[in-house]
Amino acid sequence: MTSLAAEPHDPAAEVRASSDVHASADVHAFAGVHPSADADPSADAERDEADSMGAPFLAQVWAVARKDLLLEARSRERLLSMGTFAVLVAIVFSFAVDPAVRARSIAGAMIWVTVLFAGTLGLGRSFALEREAEALTGVLLAPVDRGALFLGKWLANMAIVLAVEALVFPVFALFFNLGFAGSLPALVAVVVLATAGFMALGTLFGAIAAHTRLGETLLPILLLPLLAPVVIFACAATQRLLVGRPVSDVVSQIKMLGAFDLVFLFVCTAIFGAVMEE
Amino acid sequence: MSTLAASASASGAPAVAARGVEKWYGPLPAVRGIDFTLAPGQFLTVFGPNGAGKTTLLRMLCGAVKPTRGAVSVSGEDVAESDAARRRIGLLSHQTFLYPGLSAAENLDFYARLYGLARRRERVEQALVSVGLQERRADCVRTFSRGMQQRLALARTLLHRPTLVLLDEPYTGLDPHAAAMLRAVLERLKDGRTTVVLVTHNLSQGLEQADRVVVQVAGRWVSDEPRAAVDAAAFERVYTERVGAAA
Repeated sequence: MTSLAAEPHDPAAEVRASSDVHASADVHAFAGVHPSADADPSADAERDEADSMGAPFLAQVWAVARKDLLLEARSRERLLSMGTFAVLVAIVFSFAVDPAVRARSIAGAMIWVTVLFAGTLGLGRSFALEREAEALTGVLLAPVDRGALFLGKWLANMAIVLAVEALVFPVFALFFNLGFAGSLPALVAVVVLATAGFMALGTLFGAIAAHTRLGETLLPILLLPLLAPVVIFACAATQRLLVGRPVSDVVSQIKMLGAFDLVFLFVCTAIFGAVMEE
Repeated sequence: MSTLAASASASGAPAVAARGVEKWYGPLPAVRGIDFTLAPGQFLTVFGPNGAGKTTLLRMLCGAVKPTRGAVSVSGEDVAESDAARRRIGLLSHQTFLYPGLSAAENLDFYARLYGLARRRERVEQALVSVGLQERRADCVRTFSRGMQQRLALARTLLHRPTLVLLDEPYTGLDPHAAAMLRAVLERLKDGRTTVVLVTHNLSQGLEQADRVVVQVAGRWVSDEPRAAVDAAAFERVYTERVGAAA
């Protein structure tokens, strides 16, 4: 390595002089960013001790979910694109379905196909917003549990897709003359459980797809085959409820959806850290 | 002295230690065989031309990039494994790590929540005042100029009061007034407990606060001197020769 000759001057004095010339009141304000040597040491220690404990797991989950929901509330880009897509699909179905076919008998499948594609459309955006200004790197540098990060994203995705579903069901009810009144609590249970499983896999694969060049193309190819069990049980349960079958007829589907949710959430939370690795 | 800094210095561990750190992207080396330690309070400046691997080195120091070989520890804890080590680090990068769709205050509040900071609102407000953005607290970051975003990124970097501050070309995009503010912040960070690694290719800015000066070329350290032993004019000449020879 090179050795460099010393120069008889005081660089620190130069710096001080330079700072004095340029910096005004703002310089003193900067003391607040980082504690100065003359700050109250006991207050410092007390605050640092609280800081060093870090955020509890659930607080981290909420911080991530809250941030995603705030971003969505500002832009509404996912809600608008997914909602518009879902309504357009409902309109297409309303023209495409033969009037001789009893719409009620296929409405469950039509609704879930619509939700599936609208949801997949929004999932790509969930991690795209983390790539702007490399915000995800900042998040990963923080002492955040990767499971908390996953659950926060999942929670926000759930809320957004549930909002779209709150639009899809009435639109289909309008176009196909469906009635949910008698089975609303069971239908809500099916929708929430199916969406939870869908979003668990969707959030994981959204993260994987975001790391690849062909992300948006890759996402449905990876996601849809694995979602088959959730879609099958969700369609079957929705169909039965729409044709007026008693709630007891869908209990087994609801249980299966719950079981898939538990498995998906456990596995996805556990492996999300590996997905987030470099 | 803070609890974090106290515990680190009590253990006698260096603020940061890199052991045989290398990073390869396929057959291309970005960083090759770098070994060093920094004591708490040291200010290291790493100079080097574009493509020298300075940013990669900084990213390995904070755990954002995994070394192909070697390991990095912060206050004695492996940076890849330890939450406590990550809590001690603040990185100011080329990218701001901010969400353009959130306001300045919301961005800082989000990071304060992630770090679990006590008295969150007070800290966020203080940080905004510190970088002169208190009047723009409710405005979307998307509407900020590059310099304002850089100032907010600096507030984000220092919000959790890290004991290891990593700065990657921090003067980029700053006007003279903001650059003077940043210079003053760096001066304040020389409090004896905060370790700073500054990466730059601007010789005059890099030499200002440094205690130790390193030149990195093609992934290797070709010069490593205490600042006091460095003659600015000679340094510029040798730096130009070294960088020219490597190119």
